[in-house]
Amino acid sequence: MKIKKFLAMMVAATTMVFGVYSCGSDDNENEPEKPVAAQVAGSYEGQEIIKVMGEVSSDTTTTYSFAKATDLTVDMTIPGFGMGAMTIPSFPVKEIPLTKGEKAITGKLDSYSGTVTDGKGQEKAYTVNNIVVAFDGETVAVTYELKYGAMPMPMMTTFTGTKK
Amino acid sequence: MTKFPTNKLIQSIVAGMVFSMPAIEISAQSIRDSVELEPVVVTASHSPKALKDAPVVTRLITRHDIKITDATNIQDLLTQEMPGLEFGFAMSQETSLNMSGFGGNAILFLVDGERMAGETMDNVDYSRMNLDNVGRIEIVKGASSALYGSNAVGGVINIISRETIEPWTANANSRYSDFGHEWRHGASFSFNNTKWNSQTSFQHTTIDPIDLPKAHTAEEIALELLKKAQGLPYDESILNDDSNLSRLYGQKTYNVKERLTWRASDQLTLIGRGCYFFRTSERDTHDYHFNGYSAGLKGKYAWSNDQQLELSYAFDQYDKANFMPDGTRKHDHDYVNRQHVVHALFNTQLSAINAHLILGADLLNDYLSTYQFVAGTSQSQNNIDGYAQFDWNVTNQLNLVGSIRYDYFSASAQKALTERLAIVYKHPWMTFRVNYASGFRAPTLKEMYMHFDMGNMGYMIIGNPDLEPERSHNFNVAIERINRIDDSGFLDGRYSFTLMGYCNIFDKRITTIDGGLVDGMESALYWNEDGIKVWGVDASLGHIWDCGLSLKLNYSWMKEAGHVYYSDFYQPRSQSLTWRLGYDHRFSRYYAIDAALSGRSHGKPQSGRTDVDQGYTIWKLMLQHHIWRGININTAIDNIFNYKPKTYYYCSPLTTGTSVSVGLSVDIDKIL
Repeated sequence: MKIKKFLAMMVAATTMVFGVYSCGSDDNENEPEKPVAAQVAGSYEGQEIIKVMGEVSSDTTTTYSFAKATDLTVDMTIPGFGMGAMTIPSFPVKEIPLTKGEKAITGKLDSYSGTVTDGKGQEKAYTVNNIVVAFDGETVAVTYELKYGAMPMPMMTTFTGTKK
Repeated sequence: MTKFPTNKLIQSIVAGMVFSMPAIEISAQSIRDSVELEPVVVTASHSPKALKDAPVVTRLITRHDIKITDATNIQDLLTQEMPGLEFGFAMSQETSLNMSGFGGNAILFLVDGERMAGETMDNVDYSRMNLDNVGRIEIVKGASSALYGSNAVGGVINIISRETIEPWTANANSRYSDFGHEWRHGASFSFNNTKWNSQTSFQHTTIDPIDLPKAHTAEEIALELLKKAQGLPYDESILNDDSNLSRLYGQKTYNVKERLTWRASDQLTLIGRGCYFFRTSERDTHDYHFNGYSAGLKGKYAWSNDQQLELSYAFDQYDKANFMPDGTRKHDHDYVNRQHVVHALFNTQLSAINAHLILGADLLNDYLSTYQFVAGTSQSQNNIDGYAQFDWNVTNQLNLVGSIRYDYFSASAQKALTERLAIVYKHPWMTFRVNYASGFRAPTLKEMYMHFDMGNMGYMIIGNPDLEPERSHNFNVAIERINRIDDSGFLDGRYSFTLMGYCNIFDKRITTIDGGLVDGMESALYWNEDGIKVWGVDASLGHIWDCGLSLKLNYSWMKEAGHVYYSDFYQPRSQSLTWRLGYDHRFSRYYAIDAALSGRSHGKPQSGRTDVDQGYTIWKLMLQHHIWRGININTAIDNIFNYKPKTYYYCSPLTTGTSVSVGLSVDIDKIL
């Protein structure tokens, strides 16, 4: 009986010690760090440059959006754009896994494929390859290669923007 | 020094044996000697002639060359063997070609003298031309339209099948390369008797997609871009990536061929052939499927050794379509090109004046249906031609060959008259050749009737029914010496040396210019441009030592002048060199070896482009082990010194560094 009482007291003491420590710690720090996906989520406005066969085909100001998918992944929405008479509607790249590094939060995805309905009601397949996103504070940089529909050559795209 | 036999009968017998024997079944030494002695070629004169008597310099790639390069298709082979020739890529990784300043559509590819339908970028689908059952390949640079008509503007490459003389043969082979985890499997079977000869072959290849290495990763580029966006110091060189290609698409091919010869009598021979080809290329959003169907029937009737008539019919179709990953066929990229050719050729020996006359005529029907036309339309046209060649041996030393040809194209109502005059003078020390030839390329149905929104990008490409044929005039002068060195110790053996200077005047090139607004979109219009002149020198040197060593060097220099246009897909280089140092030896009855250290070196692009490598050199080591009876193991190390392009642009060599391959070939008939 004495042993049981002693153990109970030890558990209570331990709980109190860690509890005090924990409370003390909370008192000295900010809010718990948000998941990386939540940190970067938002809309970013900036410059998008599209190169086809090494030539700049489009240089515009536009907005990319990132939404938290899980704590560690984001969905990126690439805005629609026009190139010549071709109009490509907005389309998503889902679940880009993020990693927090010393310099930035980066995300990489080898490939993502989907379909999208264009302005003429036609369903177009697209594949986005070599997707990289890099966030630092309020700034984002994005690079990827887009294959759209039957277009024979990829569109090499870079985007840099700041959070709105 | 030994003078070579000139008797045509001996030449034919030797050549027939050489080209009908599989290189691996006899000792490598004997193959080499046979090949170098008296090979017969047909492309330069439309009739069999000893290589050294050909009216125009002809580059011959023998079956032994094909074996030792371990090439899968014509593209692999020519890349290794021909200086001044480079394959590249275009937009959707269609293959483009440049040979001595001419684009692919100015080079005529023939298989046993027959044309092929279809196009990828600027010529036929090169992967249709696999090298199973190929006996030899003949290359004539410069115009040859007086014999072969349209497209023979800058040269003719004729792939000639082999015919076995053994009662039967059977071979199975397989080869793996770590470049793209490429597999090649093949099988062939033949039988032969006094009446029948049959050749059947099958080849299947697969290659995985290959990610091309870059100087900087996408992550490095993104982080540098981030710094730039933040106004921090950044490295501009990391952001400047000029690569046009990041990934080579994987593909699979199937190719089955049959060629059946029936010697009905001493006078009459009938040859039937058929071929089916399938290629699929896995792309990001869909798969490309390509089909090739080829069939033909040829009859040869010989009244005597001096008089022969040849009649043939050939059919060739090439089509392509896109398929979704789930196997659903899309119809937005359907393409069918179909050709029917009826051909007649009469040749007779005019013994009284020691001359040879050839008269020929063709009727070609060309049909094209493509997504690049106005929806739902197709086009076709007929090409009718007639030609004559007079080959006169004025003396034992002097040979004159004159050819003339007339072509008519129904769709464009265009006519073309082409000529050639070749003079060969055989001095005891040297052979001199002087040649003039004209060439043309008729506008294709695509170039006349295209109406295509390129890749749905709002940029139209518009055909022009008023196009005129491209024209070329080729002048060349060549000297050649072939001889043997005896009693000189280490140098004992045979050597050959050829030096050719040429000038090509190329006019009315078909290209595109700004076509203004069409349907509210910017456009490019097919148009005849001013021409260019291409000057060049080709030199080749070969030496075969009695001890088993051999050396081949081929050098090419060329310069373009005039209205020169450099596309991203063509980057002609002024200088290039190919070489091969070989050694073959039979160690015992059960083991022989063929070894080759080969390479190619290309100089800087003539365009002056500086954002890419200014040239490259690639070495390859090949070992063929001939074991026991009919078992052959091939091993190769390609790109020995691990060359990697600085950036992958459309004309970069297809390498990611050193690669190795190993193959096994078994001649079942030899084992049994």
